[in-house]
Amino acid sequence: MTALISIDGVKKIFGSGTLEVHAFGPVDLDIEAGQFVSFLGPSGCGKSTLMLMIAGLMEPSSGQIRLNGLPVFGPQTDIGIMFQDNTLVPWRTVRSNIELQLEMRGLPVSHYAERVANLLRSVNLDDFSERYPHELSGGMQQRAAFCQAMVHDPKIMLLDEPLGKLDAMTRERIRTDLQQLWMQQRPTVTFVTHSIEEAVQLSTHVAVITPRPGCLDRVISIDLPFPRDLDVKNSSKFVRHVRDIQEIFRGFGVI
Amino acid sequence: MALASSETKGIASRIGKFINQSWLFVVFFVAFFLFWEYAVVFFEIPRYILTPPSDVVRNGWADLPRLLNYTYITGLETIIGYFFAVVIALPLGMSIAFSSFLRRTIYPFFVCLEMTPKIAFAPLFISWLGFGLLPKVIIVFLVCFFPIVLNAILAFNSLSEELARFCRSTGAGAWRTFLKVRLPAAMPQCFVGFKYAAINATVGAAIAEFIGSDQGLGFYIQIVTGNMRPDLAFAGIFFLTLLGLALFGLVTLAEHFVIPWHISVRRGAAS
Repeated sequence: MTALISIDGVKKIFGSGTLEVHAFGPVDLDIEAGQFVSFLGPSGCGKSTLMLMIAGLMEPSSGQIRLNGLPVFGPQTDIGIMFQDNTLVPWRTVRSNIELQLEMRGLPVSHYAERVANLLRSVNLDDFSERYPHELSGGMQQRAAFCQAMVHDPKIMLLDEPLGKLDAMTRERIRTDLQQLWMQQRPTVTFVTHSIEEAVQLSTHVAVITPRPGCLDRVISIDLPFPRDLDVKNSSKFVRHVRDIQEIFRGFGVI
Repeated sequence: MALASSETKGIASRIGKFINQSWLFVVFFVAFFLFWEYAVVFFEIPRYILTPPSDVVRNGWADLPRLLNYTYITGLETIIGYFFAVVIALPLGMSIAFSSFLRRTIYPFFVCLEMTPKIAFAPLFISWLGFGLLPKVIIVFLVCFFPIVLNAILAFNSLSEELARFCRSTGAGAWRTFLKVRLPAAMPQCFVGFKYAAINATVGAAIAEFIGSDQGLGFYIQIVTGNMRPDLAFAGIFFLTLLGLALFGLVTLAEHFVIPWHISVRRGAAS
C-alpha cells in the first residue's frame, strides 16, 4: 500500500549564488491515511516551507512529493489549509466565511448546510454564526477558521501553527476542540508547531525537525489513547514523551 | 416591548453622548465668530479689507441668486470631473496592478506625473479649450485622477499572502477569485483614494476658474475681491466649502453602503 503523502528527498533552497539559503531538507517521510503528524522544530527550520510544498503552493528545489501516488504539481485542491493568520475575510459572517470555501470551489452551498451547522456546533460557535470576525475573540476566530478549512471534507489538512497567536489558556481549550474535530472527521493532518506538549497531545506521530537546514531527526510514535484529556496529560507515559523530546532539542542546543 | 424601550434608550443616550462630546466645539465656533464680529469694529478695520460675519450673511443673502447659480456651475464642473476620474482611474489602476507590462510602462509615468502640480496645466488647457466648462472639468479630472489610480494600484496589490494562498488552494479561477476575494478586499484602500480626490476636487475647480472663466464661484471670488468686497468673497468661499462638504459627504455615504464591515466605517459609526 502506498502512503497518502510521500515525501521523497525533498529539499528547498532560496535565492542563488552567495545569497543562497539552504532552508530545508533533504527529507524522506511517508504519512499514512488518518495519521496526525506534527512537525516539531525551532523557528526558521523550514516547517512552513514543507507545508507549502505539500500544498503545491511552492516547488521543491529537488526531490518529489506525492499525494496518493500522484506527484504534486501546482496547487492541490483536495486539502484544507490553515495559517497562523487566519483566512477569514472581514466582509463575511462566520457562516458566510465557511461557505466562501465552498463558493470558491463551485460546490452547492445548500447541500452543505447541515455539515456547516454540525461543524459550528462541534466548536461551540453555533450562536455566533451570523457574527462578523471582528466581533469574535482570537480563539473563536481560529475555531471558525478550522471549520472553513475542513468544510469541503478534505482528505488532507495542512495546519501551519494555527494556534501560534493565541494566549496559553485559549490554546489549551482549542487543542481540545481541534482533537474533537479530528476524531469526528478523521482527515490526515500535518501540523506545524514549536510546542512540544501540543505536539504530544494532538499527534499520532511527532516528526522532530532539526535547526536550519531543517532535516528529519526522527519520527516518534505517540501510543496514547484518544481523546487525550487532562488525565492522559498527567500520565507518566505522556510526561515521558515530553521529556524525551525535550532531551532531543537540548542535544540540538535550541533549549 | 423590552427591545423597543432599549432601542429608544439607545437613541437617547447616543444624543446625550453627542452633546457631551460636541458642546465644547459649538462654544468655540460661536466664540470665534463673535470675536471676528467685534474685533473688526473694535480695531476699526476698514470694510474693504475685512467685514464682520454679519455683513457676510446679510450681503451674501442679497446676492443669493447669483451665488446659487455659480455654485451650480462650479458643482457641475466638479461632479463631472470627479465622475470621469473614478470611472477611468479605477479600472486603470486595477489593470496596472494585474499587468506587469502596464506596471513597467504607464506606472512610472504616473508616479512622475503625480509629482507635478496638476494645477500648473490649467493655463494651458484654458488656452487650448477656451473659457467654457470643458477645461475646468479636465482640471478637476486631473486633480482627482492620480490619487484614485495610485490608491487603486496599492489596493489591488495588497492582498495578504495567506488569502492569496487560500484562493489558489481552492482551485478557483481568476475571475471568481477576483469577484469573491480580491475586489472586496481592495475596496477600503480604493475609498482612501476616492475621499482624497473628493477633498481636492473643488480646489481644482476653483483655481481653474481663477485662471480663466466668466462664471462659477472661483470667478465670483476673484471679481468681488477686485471690487473691494471681502464680504461677498467670504460668501463665495462659504458656498465653495459647502460644495466640498457635500461631495465628501456623498463619498462617505457610499463608503458606508459599500464596505459597512470596514474598520474606518465602524469607527465612524461608533463615535
